[in-house]
Order: sequence, then structure tokens, then C-alpha cells
Amino acid sequence: MRRIGLNILLMLLAFTIQNGVFPLLPFLAATPNLLLILTFSFGFIYGKEAGLWYGLLAGILLDLFYSGPFGFYTLLFINIGYFNGICTKYYYEDYITLPLILSLVNEVAYNCYIYVLRFLIRNRLDFLYYFREIILPEMIFTTVATLFLYRSFLFTNRRLEEMEKRRD
Amino acid sequence: MESKRSKYMLVGLSFFCIVLIIITSVRDGFLEPLRTGVGYFLIPIQSGVNRVGTLIYNEITDYTRFKGAVDENKQLKAQIDELMMENSRLQAEQFELERLRDLYKLDQDYQQYEKIGARVIAKDSGDWFQVFRINKGSADGVRVDANVIAGSGLVGIVTDVGANYATVRSIIDDLSRVAGAAQQSGDSCMVAGDLMLFSEKRLRITNITKDGDVKNGDRIVTSHTSSKYLPGILIGYATDITTDDTRLTKSGYLVPAAEFNNLQEVLVILELKADQVQEAPVEQGVQE
Repeated sequence: MRRIGLNILLMLLAFTIQNGVFPLLPFLAATPNLLLILTFSFGFIYGKEAGLWYGLLAGILLDLFYSGPFGFYTLLFINIGYFNGICTKYYYEDYITLPLILSLVNEVAYNCYIYVLRFLIRNRLDFLYYFREIILPEMIFTTVATLFLYRSFLFTNRRLEEMEKRRD
Repeated sequence: MESKRSKYMLVGLSFFCIVLIIITSVRDGFLEPLRTGVGYFLIPIQSGVNRVGTLIYNEITDYTRFKGAVDENKQLKAQIDELMMENSRLQAEQFELERLRDLYKLDQDYQQYEKIGARVIAKDSGDWFQVFRINKGSADGVRVDANVIAGSGLVGIVTDVGANYATVRSIIDDLSRVAGAAQQSGDSCMVAGDLMLFSEKRLRITNITKDGDVKNGDRIVTSHTSSKYLPGILIGYATDITTDDTRLTKSGYLVPAAEFNNLQEVLVILELKADQVQEAPVEQGVQE
């Protein structure tokens, strides 16, 4: 129970940091996509169904922030949560390679989703430009952030599990 | 068993999202109450985090500034002497300017609009969209389509309003289209945001007619023909105007007057263009 509460709090925090603090840092060429990292990490650690619910939360937060069609981000994030949940059977603690690969794949999926549905349909065809200027920097930042964040999730996760066990 | 259930849930939720996307694409105001409701809860958090972030950021910049300040101080002292000389000369010219201004009766339309100051509390962190959120909403009189300015120029337009927040799409966003006009000649053009020009800090100007008088360096202001932007607000300055391949139109680039890096405070004009348009026919009706 406590773990779920903490995770939801983390998501809210990630959302506010992403929108309230990162844009203030002009020396960052791109910023890591924290909500994406949280969604896929939770999916990967806790499984498909949990990934789905955390994806739902992240998507709704983003949809509320943007004033476009509601559900655009929710649709993407529940799918990301779910499909990363499938990989949960390969989940071992301290195994960092797979999460890093997943973060790359998710970043590409996330950005292509936005590019195709928001830019390509308005006849903006120069994919390579957008890839070089926007997608690639964000991918690098997100993957580096995953390296640190995923480790700290595992750490707090283990601590909370121990605490819960002790109480039982 | 559990796996099957989650699969159904995924399909169900995805379907629900698609339906929502379709509904909200057609009718935008549908989820207004939900957005406002969540806003009551989320905006205070966003404001708080933003304030802390701004504080830290200002501390850091203050420190780096201090290091440069010592050197700068020496240079500035030398400059003061020079400027004192120049100042006395300029003062004489200032009187002349004031006299000429009175002669020309330069009226500044701008200042007649009622404005409200707002603080930028959140921005899109990714690079795809240029939207931000301000801490004033419908409770303060901000409405959808209200024009937003900062410093001297147009910044954007309100696309979405909650009770205590509003979302603003800036004119550098890829979706933004503003009907503009050269201030000098009055010839119209279209000012469009373009993500590919974003890093050069420029916008695109299109749809100038072949004979239209828009020159490099011209002030481009919002046009009277625009349905959402109030007339006469400075957007920026035209550069690199060239004739298109079709020989029918000219296009070029625009350097915005407002500074978009590190936007912290903006002014929202409370009056809407739609109000002005609606007022006119009503008066006619009375006369008839």
C-alpha cells in the first residue's frame, strides 16, 4: 500500500519537476522525460497491470496539461506501461542493460508517436531534421537519467519490501 | 487468468482513449470541469515547485554574475565618464523629440487595452511544443483566445482556461498562425511558427502578395483582419524577404520582438477580439 502511495507521489513530483523546473535551466539542450521513465520502470518492475495503471496516471497528467484532444497521451502511456510489463519476466534485480534498452525503445516510440500524429499529418516531412534536433538529444538525456533513476527505484523498492516483511 | 484480464483492460482503456480523443477533437470544452477540478489541486503544487526552482536558479545566476561583476565594474566606471558627456547632448535632443512628438500626436494604441500580469508556472519540457501555463485563470477574467504579450511584443494566445490557471500557446509553436501586417504599408502577411526555425529564434512570414510592400526590417504587427488577435500588437521585425518560386507571393522570416528564452512574467490582455467584432453589429441594430 505504502509503496503505491510513494510511487504515485513520485509521479506527481516528476510531472511538476518536468514542467516547472527543467524549463528554467537554459543550459540543458534537452531534458529527460521523467514520466516516461517512471511509467516504463514501474511496468517493468511490477508487471503489466500495474504498468497500465501507472501509465494511466501519467497520461492523464500530461493530457490535463496540454489543451489538445484529451486522451492523446493517455493512450500512449497505458500502452507503454502495459508492453513494458510484458518484459517483467526477464526482470532481475541489478540487471541494468535491459532497462536501458527499453528506455531507448520507449523514447523512440514516444517521439515517433508525437511526430507522426502531430507533425507528419500536417505535411512536415523532414523526419531526419526532427530526429537530429529533438529526438536524439532527448533520447540521450532520458537514457542517462534512467541509469540513475532506475537504480534508486530498485533501492527504495527493496527497502520498502524489507520494512513490510518485518511488519508481517 | 490475470494476464487475460489485463489484456482486456488495455484494449478497453485504449478504446476509451480513442473515443475521448475523437470527442474532444470535435468539442473542445467537453472536459473543462475536469481540468478545472484537477487544476485546484495541481496548480498550487506546480506553483510551489516552480517558485523553489526559480529561487535556486536565481541564486546560481546571481553567483556567476558576481564573479563577472568585478571586472565589469572597472569598465563601467570608464564608460560613465563617456556617457555623462553624451547624456548632456542627448538631453538637448530629448526636448526636441518631445516637441516633435506633440506635433505628430503619436498615439500609442497599445496602452488602451486592459491588461493583467501573470507568472509563468510551467512549461512543456520536451521540445515538440511551445506551450506554457500561467497562474491566472477565469477567476481573474482571463478567457480563451486572450492575447498574451511580454515586454514589447506578442507572445501567444490562451488556448485553455481553468479557474486558477490558463494554458498559453506561444507564437513560436509549430501550430501557431498569426495574421500580420507591415506597420508602415499595411500590407498583410501570415506569421507562422516553425519548429525547424526554432533554434534560429525566427518565425516564418508567408502569403505576402507579389506587390506587397514588406521590406527587411519592417515592423510586423497583428492585422485588423485577424479573428483572434487584437490589431496593432507588435509581433517582430521582417528579415530576408524574397520572392517565391511561383512569382505570385513573397515570403521571409520574422525576428520576434518578445524574448522567449526564460520567460517569467507575461501580460494578458483581457479584452478579446471577438468582443470588438460583436459590439459593432449590436450598435447598428440599435440605430435601426
